[in-house]
Amino acid sequence: MSENVLELKNITMKFGGVTALNEVNLVVKKGEILALIGPNGAGKTTVFNVITGVYKPTSGDVVFQGESIVGKKRFKITKLGIARTFQNIRLFGESSALENVVTGADVHSKTGVVGSIFGTPRSRREEKANLERALELLDFMGIKKRAGQLGKNLPYGDQRRLEIARALATNPKLLLLDEPAAGFNPAEKVALAETIKKIRDAGYTVLLIEHDMSLIMGVSDRVAVLDFGTKIADGSTTEVQNDPRVIEAYLGAPADAS
Amino acid sequence: MANLKSSLNLRDKGAEYWERSPKWRRVALAIFFIAICYALPFLNNPLVNTPGSDFQSVLFYPVGMYVLMAIGLNIVVGKSGLLDLGYVAFFAIGAYTMAILGTKTSLNFWEILPIGVGLAMLSGVLLGTPTLRLRGDYLAIVTLGFGEIVRIFAVNTDAIGGSRGIAGIPTPPDVFNAKFTILDPKPYYWMLLTFTLLIIWMVRRMAARRPGRAWDAIRQDDDVAQLMGINTRKYKVWAFVLGAAVAGVGGVVYASQILSIVPDQFNLNISILILACVVFGGIGNVWGVILGAVLLAFTPERIRFLSQPRILVFGIALVVMMNLRPDGILPKKKREHFDPDWHTVEESGEGEIK
Amino acid sequence: MDFALLHDAFWGLTFDGIALGAIYALISLGYTLVYGVLRLINFAHSEVFMIGTFAALVAASGIMGVKVEDDPRTGVSMILTLIVCLVVAMLASAITAVLVEIVAYRRLRQRGATKLATLISAIGVSISLVELFRIITDSLPREFPRIMEKTFLFSYAGADVRNDKVIVIIAAGLMMFALERFITKTRLGKGIRAVSMDENTSTLMGVNINRVITVTFFAGGLMAGAAAFFYILVYENTSFKVGFFLGISAFTAAVLGGIGNLKGALFGGFALGLMETWTSAVFGTAWKAVISFIILVLVLLIKPTGLFGESIQQARV
Repeated sequence: MSENVLELKNITMKFGGVTALNEVNLVVKKGEILALIGPNGAGKTTVFNVITGVYKPTSGDVVFQGESIVGKKRFKITKLGIARTFQNIRLFGESSALENVVTGADVHSKTGVVGSIFGTPRSRREEKANLERALELLDFMGIKKRAGQLGKNLPYGDQRRLEIARALATNPKLLLLDEPAAGFNPAEKVALAETIKKIRDAGYTVLLIEHDMSLIMGVSDRVAVLDFGTKIADGSTTEVQNDPRVIEAYLGAPADAS
Repeated sequence: MANLKSSLNLRDKGAEYWERSPKWRRVALAIFFIAICYALPFLNNPLVNTPGSDFQSVLFYPVGMYVLMAIGLNIVVGKSGLLDLGYVAFFAIGAYTMAILGTKTSLNFWEILPIGVGLAMLSGVLLGTPTLRLRGDYLAIVTLGFGEIVRIFAVNTDAIGGSRGIAGIPTPPDVFNAKFTILDPKPYYWMLLTFTLLIIWMVRRMAARRPGRAWDAIRQDDDVAQLMGINTRKYKVWAFVLGAAVAGVGGVVYASQILSIVPDQFNLNISILILACVVFGGIGNVWGVILGAVLLAFTPERIRFLSQPRILVFGIALVVMMNLRPDGILPKKKREHFDPDWHTVEESGEGEIK
Repeated sequence: MDFALLHDAFWGLTFDGIALGAIYALISLGYTLVYGVLRLINFAHSEVFMIGTFAALVAASGIMGVKVEDDPRTGVSMILTLIVCLVVAMLASAITAVLVEIVAYRRLRQRGATKLATLISAIGVSISLVELFRIITDSLPREFPRIMEKTFLFSYAGADVRNDKVIVIIAAGLMMFALERFITKTRLGKGIRAVSMDENTSTLMGVNINRVITVTFFAGGLMAGAAAFFYILVYENTSFKVGFFLGISAFTAAVLGGIGNLKGALFGGFALGLMETWTSAVFGTAWKAVISFIILVLVLLIKPTGLFGESIQQARV
């Protein structure tokens, strides 16, 4: 359990004069579910954007499986094994649910454009494998019956599930979930928590941004807390719940109310 | 009204019929339509005749040529969503390759064809690699400029004929019994049709596979496409290069038929017309694009008897059509696909992942 | 290549370049204004300009009765003729621009059509207008009568400063100043800026989008009409093709500066005018488009959204 999948080392991210992240250190260990919480505007999504290469940090280093990934192209980072979902759902709306997921599964294919034109045996093999994997993942997320529907026509909750399926399709070593339960009702949240645990049990490592405290306390192995771009706590759920600084950050809103 | 609309929706009806058909019927239908295409030059119907110009010639140029180029441009604009306003440049490069090598060397058409296509692709790489990171409208002006520059370069370079162009381009050697002469456009039409069918086949394969999905993703959301592990730059350049290759084929064939070319044949209007074919017919849908190209190429020839105002009529028709059907005549399918196999799947939510 | 010519005539070329650049800048303002509110290239804007040149022609010969073979006018008659031609050209272009919006854009916009569909619709309008004028003019260029005697006001460092170009530069400057006032000070101008920033929020805040768009096209048309008159005053002829050439250059200028940005359009216009005049002196006029294009590509490679970026809301003329 001690192997670190991802390490953020002294990450500072400035936009103009605004410091979105200030000297953030964070370690994600292999096989765990780490929740990243904090009030709105604390910089959680910025952390995701720094990890996935959307932003290049002003200073600091991101080490993924022992290798610095700062400055690497976004698609290379995904290929290395980091996949994410988006807070404001960003599916390929004009593509079917299945196509969305297969697009993710294509990441590790070797076939290029020429191979596809001529339909080489490898291309056929990979097409078939990716399709099967996509169907498997749709089934896993419980949305297999949506396979043929366009992304934009899926019900809201299924869109969120489809995003997770699409991210899983890239076979990530680290899965980043950005508020996957936003807009879910309590029953759906419980189901989602189970799904996330199952994802972990299948051997994936999960970094989760979430607002819903009951969900976080239910699934997380560890919790890290951001406030105004600074990490103020990091530890087990009980440790964090009792941390005075965390309580202060959520001033007036006790950490267990939600 | 809704009923009327749905019964008029030939695309979905057609697609549904096609999907419900067993394999033998699909093959039979395909052979039937291809045979009709090959037989078109013998069609002598007053409805489709083109008074004022030879029908068989019209089939080759503009109709066949526009169809080919529209299919090529559709890879760029329709599939990957890159606005290219200088597509004519690649057509010109193909044509000039044929003209220069055909008149100055002893290479024949079939030897020049791959060179012309290769040069068109190379120029696609050279233009695309630095510029494809530009956003839509910036790319539009850069490609537009490129198209104009190729023409201006040809006009001002005396070594390739300057504004007088190049004359005496050799015709292709005979294939079987087909003799390629200026007098008979039929063999050219058949050759062009063969190339077009081949390209349609290739494009359909790509569209259904990984490149097609990558282009779909890029067109819809470039950022997310990158984050899903797609090398967007690479796929954009590929789209550009494949589009260029198709135009290159068109250029080589065109030059070998027309026998002499001048730079002003390769003006911005061609780029715009081809783009109009793509959008008018139904962007992204190869059948729509073909229909659009046939209509836009054929109509001005059909109404040539109007002589003076025919382009005016064309322009007005373009506006009216776009206002009535902004997605084109045969838009890309928006219909949802229900495969019975998925539809009846027992929803477990219990699947396992590896 | 002829660097000697550039060296000897540098100031003269520079002066000519500024005059040409003023015309480009005025046209490119129309592209930029429309781009700001609609995020679309108004492909028919070049024809808005073209119609302005013909309107000026009609005003001069039809309304003011100036014939090509006449002597140039003088005094009050000359000033009156100049003003009438300018106003008629501006109004004609502005009305054309508004009509273009109604015919080519409005319905498609309200149906939420794609950008490309709208582009083709605008191209259709452009083709129709060009063809209409080709038929009306029998494909022949038209000469514009000389309204004013063209004299050299003074010479500076070998540059002859001609009166008509001075008028163009000064008047264009005034137009731009007026536009800047309009955009920053008036209610409608603020509406344009608001829509450029965020259409949805503007609607919620009570901005009448249709009206703002109409005003935007009208303002862009006024600028193009002024450019048309200045063009025909200096070059003294026009044809149905004139919009095409000037349009491409002006659009390049808008992109060079950063489309959607008023300051960028101005800068881009003058920069392109100067570059074209200087480089034609060195490489010959045939290559000026090539050079401009190469410079444009180089600029975009370094700054992918043009020299000044894209924001119209912060634009200062």
